[in-house]
Amino acid sequence: MVSQHLRALAVDAPAPRRRRAWPQFLTSEHPFPWLAPITAVIVAFGVYPLLYALWLSFFKRNPVTRINVFYPTWNWGKLLTDDRVWGAIGHTYLYTIIALVIELGLGLAIALLLDSDRKGYGLLRALMTLPLVVPPAVTGMMFLLMLDGSFGVLSMGLVSLGLWSPAHPILASSGSALAGVLLADIWQWTPFMVLIMLAGLRALPKEPFEAAAIDGATATQAFIRLTLPMLSKIIAIAVLIRGVDLFRIYDYVKVMTDSGPGTATETLTSYAGTIYFKNADFPYASTISLFTLFLVIVTSSIFIKLFKVQF
Amino acid sequence: MQESFLQKRLRDVAAVLVVSLFMFPLFWWALTSFKPTSAIFDKDGIVWFNFKPTLVNYAVTMLGKSRAELAIDSGNTFGVGGASSYDSRQTIIDSLIVAVGSTAFTLLLAVFAAYALSRMRFRWRQAYLNWILSQRFMPPIAIIVPVVFMFHYLSLGDTRLGLVIVDTLINLPIAVLLMKSFYDDVPVDVDEAAMIDGATRLQIFWCVVLPMVKGGAAATAVLCFIFSWTEFLLSLFLTNSIRTLPVKITTFVTSTGSEWGFIAALGTTAVIPSFIFILLVQKQLVRGLTLGSLKE
Repeated sequence: MVSQHLRALAVDAPAPRRRRAWPQFLTSEHPFPWLAPITAVIVAFGVYPLLYALWLSFFKRNPVTRINVFYPTWNWGKLLTDDRVWGAIGHTYLYTIIALVIELGLGLAIALLLDSDRKGYGLLRALMTLPLVVPPAVTGMMFLLMLDGSFGVLSMGLVSLGLWSPAHPILASSGSALAGVLLADIWQWTPFMVLIMLAGLRALPKEPFEAAAIDGATATQAFIRLTLPMLSKIIAIAVLIRGVDLFRIYDYVKVMTDSGPGTATETLTSYAGTIYFKNADFPYASTISLFTLFLVIVTSSIFIKLFKVQF
Repeated sequence: MQESFLQKRLRDVAAVLVVSLFMFPLFWWALTSFKPTSAIFDKDGIVWFNFKPTLVNYAVTMLGKSRAELAIDSGNTFGVGGASSYDSRQTIIDSLIVAVGSTAFTLLLAVFAAYALSRMRFRWRQAYLNWILSQRFMPPIAIIVPVVFMFHYLSLGDTRLGLVIVDTLINLPIAVLLMKSFYDDVPVDVDEAAMIDGATRLQIFWCVVLPMVKGGAAATAVLCFIFSWTEFLLSLFLTNSIRTLPVKITTFVTSTGSEWGFIAALGTTAVIPSFIFILLVQKQLVRGLTLGSLKE
């Protein structure tokens, strides 16, 4: 209405040019052209393979003729009765939970330690982030070298301190191999927790702490009553993101122990890899992979519900 | 709460100690790369600095020199593979092509998508965002088998382009969320002012908003580069002849023994580009790793 009046009043104004060559959803005013390319890439190389994997899991592979036959319950039935799968689930959860607890605890402690404005702490914080960008496969090799039973620096150090017997190389003994792999993970990802906790600590308001100090609260009290509750949201997000990554651990296991000795460090992802490379049973490898995805979704959904995580 | 002098010094000592502990593996790695074979495999005790530094390991991996050419002490050398299998020049070039390629591709897709997600209001916006985010939670192993088949069919298997595509897929969620959070920091008033002046969305995006998030885009690019540079599982499954650095380095471990000197030299080289980049984008690192959910 108003615009019509204005147009009528503005006698000398040129008539608005009408240029509607394109349908509306193809113009830059509509989100479609902005989102179409990325959607196409994700659908083609992310969603379609996932559906394909599901389809593949319904086939039984004949190891001799190498022909896949439609048999929907074969792989899923095999999965549920496969002892190695249950072992792998156990290792995966054990690995994820231990790594999470240690990385979170250490991360929080180191973040508190490095959270200072004094000179030099900026450099220390920068150095602390360096492990994060080492390729995990290289980290695995690094710890493989340091934990080597005969000439590894960490093994030799532990042996000379009398903390470890040279008869049981750390990565070659079924009892300690998982701990060796965990060590590499903890070295690489504790800095991740440190970084996030530091960001959280830096964002905390000052006032509650000043008030607490006036009221005579000790540092420990302030930490338990103020810092932890205020950080809880960030901690939950960090645990979720790290947990999902931990659950699909592959690089360290593949490089350091190749699931061994025996199957002592076999995780779900590494078992799927073994089935793929050694048995070439692609349908079963797909089934295990999908099952891993299913467990990730279930576990993280429970976590999100339980701790009310919000992005 | 004020710290006393003693508390301050205690904290300094503890902080330096902890950071040194975390730096030790990197230091040991770099040190090993300069050691002759005999010093690496010394079983009698830990060799700290009592060895004659050598560049042999770098000469073999980076310059493609053969062992005979360099007359390495043959006392402890393992492996029968010729020096050519340790020549990693092509590997580094391939890794760089894949990392740069996927970074460019990711960024190209993400800057547009993130702009729309930040500025336009449409139905399913939150659902769409969650869908992109959920891709980050999917274990790559879940899609790898079909992707191998697909790539075989499309003749993308064992090619750099194939790796660029899968790395892009892995990087997209982080890149989109990161770019969205950078766009969100730019006030909407900027868009509106340009709109009143008669600019189209595309013009606003290209001439006004994009230049304002250049820094954020650079940080996103660095993170994408690092993720692609360090990626292992997908390269392992998808390639045979083209080897990215993390995969190549694992091939130096053989059943007859591991060439630790070469591994350390290549490993040290592998971390240098990431180190340089990461020191440039310290601030944005947290955002990137946490899918932009935390604002630095």
